[in-house]
Amino acid sequence: MSPELVFQQALNGLSFGALLFILASGLSLVFGMMDVVNLAHGAFYMLGAYVALSVVQATGSFWLALLVAPFALGLLGFVLEPLLLRRLRGRHLDQVLLTIGVSLVIVDVIGQVWGREVRSLSAPAGLDGSVTLIGGVYPVYRLFVMAFGVALAAAMGIVYRRTRIGMLIRAGVQDAEMLGALGVDTNRLFASTFAAGAALAGLAGVIAAPVFGVQPGMDTDPGLLYSLVVVVVGGLGTLSGAVAGSVLVGPADTFGKVLFQDVALAVIFAIVALVLLLRPTGLLGRIRIAR
Amino acid sequence: MLVALGAAALVTFPYWSAPWASRFATTLLRDALILAIFALSLDLLVGRAGMPSLGHAAFFGGGAYAAGIAGQQLATDQLPVTLGAAALVGAVLALVIGVLVVRSEGIFFLMLTLALAQIVFAIAFQWTAVTGGSNGLSGIGRPMLASIDFSSPDLMYVLVAVTFVLAALVVWGLARSPYGRALIGVRENERRMRALGYDTARLRLSAFVIAGTIAGIAGALSAYSTRFVSAQDAGLGNSVRAFVTVLVGGAGTLGGPIVGSAVVSLIERVVPSILPTDLRISEALLGLVFIGFVLFARQGMAGLGRSAWLRVSRR
Amino acid sequence: MGGFGKNELATKRGYTYRLTRRQFLVASSAAALAACGPAAITPSASPSASPGKELKIGQLLPFTGVYAELGNSMRRATELYLKLNDQKLANRPVKLVYGDDANVTATGVQIAQKFIDQDQVDVMMGVVPTPLAYGIRNAVHAAKLIFIDTNAGGNALTRDTTDCKPACKSPYIFRASFSSYQISYPIGDYLSAKGTKEFFLAYANYGFGTESAADFTTGLKKNGGTVTGNVAPPLANPDFAPFVTQIKNQPTKNVYSFFSGADAIGFIKSWNSLGLPAAGYKMYGAGFLTEQDVLKEVKDLANGAVTSLFWAVELDNPENKKFVADFQKAYPLLPDVFAVQQYDGMRALDEALKSLGGDTSDKDKLVKALEDVTFKSPRGDFSFDKSTHNPIQDIYIREVKTQNGQTVNTITDKIAKVTDPGK
Repeated sequence: MSPELVFQQALNGLSFGALLFILASGLSLVFGMMDVVNLAHGAFYMLGAYVALSVVQATGSFWLALLVAPFALGLLGFVLEPLLLRRLRGRHLDQVLLTIGVSLVIVDVIGQVWGREVRSLSAPAGLDGSVTLIGGVYPVYRLFVMAFGVALAAAMGIVYRRTRIGMLIRAGVQDAEMLGALGVDTNRLFASTFAAGAALAGLAGVIAAPVFGVQPGMDTDPGLLYSLVVVVVGGLGTLSGAVAGSVLVGPADTFGKVLFQDVALAVIFAIVALVLLLRPTGLLGRIRIAR
Repeated sequence: MLVALGAAALVTFPYWSAPWASRFATTLLRDALILAIFALSLDLLVGRAGMPSLGHAAFFGGGAYAAGIAGQQLATDQLPVTLGAAALVGAVLALVIGVLVVRSEGIFFLMLTLALAQIVFAIAFQWTAVTGGSNGLSGIGRPMLASIDFSSPDLMYVLVAVTFVLAALVVWGLARSPYGRALIGVRENERRMRALGYDTARLRLSAFVIAGTIAGIAGALSAYSTRFVSAQDAGLGNSVRAFVTVLVGGAGTLGGPIVGSAVVSLIERVVPSILPTDLRISEALLGLVFIGFVLFARQGMAGLGRSAWLRVSRR
Repeated sequence: MGGFGKNELATKRGYTYRLTRRQFLVASSAAALAACGPAAITPSASPSASPGKELKIGQLLPFTGVYAELGNSMRRATELYLKLNDQKLANRPVKLVYGDDANVTATGVQIAQKFIDQDQVDVMMGVVPTPLAYGIRNAVHAAKLIFIDTNAGGNALTRDTTDCKPACKSPYIFRASFSSYQISYPIGDYLSAKGTKEFFLAYANYGFGTESAADFTTGLKKNGGTVTGNVAPPLANPDFAPFVTQIKNQPTKNVYSFFSGADAIGFIKSWNSLGLPAAGYKMYGAGFLTEQDVLKEVKDLANGAVTSLFWAVELDNPENKKFVADFQKAYPLLPDVFAVQQYDGMRALDEALKSLGGDTSDKDKLVKALEDVTFKSPRGDFSFDKSTHNPIQDIYIREVKTQNGQTVNTITDKIAKVTDPGK
């Protein structure tokens, strides 16, 4: 590989990683707070993309979709948490299993409502062009995605460290029960967290659509599988873990697939296995055993 | 006694049901029983040892490939060889994956098993020279025991049913043995078991290997039934399916995975042909049933049945 | 069939195809054609004849999963054919039994078995993924069930292969679609003969993609062409930028690719956003790269792509004009190649049955009748190769162009009567 090629592929890998961060951030947030790996996260992501498709069809505005889809998904999360997960509070594994069922339902409902065609979304006007970089032109949208990912991570970091909600989240991560004993309305906190996680999945659905497309099967691949890989590699339930995971997995997957194309499918999972063997809690994970 | 009669009736189903049931009923039941064996083996992990594996299809698929490839490479149709190869590959895969995962628990265990199973799937999908790759493995030989050919639908059913009865007996025996009770001890309180001098990691690993072995045999039966192996047999969808089966039926019970496989087979195979073609919601139905059981009847159908029985018998 | 009406479908999809002037002309000329010769659309059996025994056709198609829309299209074609023929084939009322394989091979195999054992269908049609066609091959053969494959294009299904692996031809299996050889070899041969000899390959890394790439290479080498390298993304790959970047960093400007559906959309979009057209790269491919499902999403981004297929919506022959018009009258969208394959499958069966007076009792006679079927299809002259049961068909070289706001495959050349080399 020439230096120019390495540079271009690194750019591809990092913009892919930024998409993976946006995709995985919600999963990581929910796990951090509630100890629940939301296996419906990929279905939420898919739903966000289809909502965006409808908004763009109706109004022609990508930016409106970027507002509506996260809001719609947030609302769904806000309803689902008390309706389903709250009933199993404290039984984390059962909560995880529940989300498998939720995912099966959502995917079929999407198919019934939106149909099962292969669709796509264009990058919004202004971001659909290309700029000249080392080694030729590069799509503006992928640079935007990188900026967006960094901004999202920074925003989440500020919320975590500087706001009351962030304080509650950090406290909840440490000990949710104690938080309840201190008079915090944990019901509302958990519902809000789950809603925020779903909204982030919806956001990913919109942002990723111009690159990953909108089609049946996207809930599992890339949706659930890649977001799981990112949070497991980075470390479950911490923001820095999700960042580290996506910065590592994005480029690793990109280079892995072009260098070892005959074992491409196994590359990322081999990375997962390797990281977990060396560091069972992921690169930056908390030491905690969830049951 | 009752159990023996039931087993005999099950094994001979195609023969006494012939006047009123079509051959379809036999193949439906055959496939449900294969799912039941698969689910029984997963339940050994989920229900008994408290190890929620979301990668169990790796062993099922591994066994299916092993039976097909062993038959072709060794040019034999003999079941002891092919089923043996399936059991061996299931066990070895489970040993390798098990060593990596037995020390993690709960959600970590779930995700690790998922990731490692995806590697198995990826190998199956891309190693075309050995597995047939994305096109799958065809040309599965005949299931022969000495000179008996089990490939007719009725005899294939009998082979599956007998294997099912044996697998159920093994799981039942294990569950009642001191070993089975030790597994439950590990599930309930691993620290105490360790304090009592048990090597809990080894206990969990052994359960993993036994479950992998049985799943491998289930996979081989599936390969013989469909005369084909697909990489999807080792994929996430198949793992989820087994998991749903166990939970709907009832984890930690012998009857659970069996009842569960009946329910899942019904939703997968019978419901779609009743629903209008435009209404494609059988996955959603399965999801709803699953949610219902996780929320309201975590003990599954078997548990529901048992409590209903207790209520009736107390009167 | 409830719920399949025009309006609901249009709302569900959120768009409709408006008839362009050109398509309007096509439609009206077809109407004129129909007016001149009503015999062309009514079945040959006289209306007074009492209807014969019910004919059961099992349709094994995906209605969920990644290939769902292919299944939908093929279903539309089936129902259109029946609608235009009074719901009968050779005066036998048709009962359709659908089964959704969801692109899971095991599920598909089980449904095929159900068609055989439970529904006892007279004929089976359908099958989108090649692995499923391979998976059911032996069961179909053993049951002597007539199976008309209306999509899956894996070469082995209609060939003699060692130990029948991964599959092999059967007297009972006919293919109304294509073999991957037919959509890949001829264009390789054609391009190299015309002097375009150096190619870089990009193909989805799975059975069908590698097979197509290999056949193209064979065709290319026949006239001294060479392949300088390849990229092979996994099937259903989310991000194509890494692979297109690899292409951009090698000197061969002509790129032959095999992608379809979502992969094709991702590939073409990356190809443009990374500036390959401006850098002088030219896209070639098997026709699925630029079929309707892809073109309606990428539109003029695909302009200039040269592909080969046995049909195009723009194909200028009376049968195709009528087919496109009929289809658009029944559904708010353009037919695609999958609809054509299924429509021809129905037509072939219809013709064979008519020659037997609708009698399906003797399987060997039905096989013989199907072997003898020839008709003018929307794709041109259609007949089965008697020894392999693969279609003998013309292959068209097509170039994507945007005309009057519509992006279409324009026909630039034709390779007549391409036969699969299977024996």
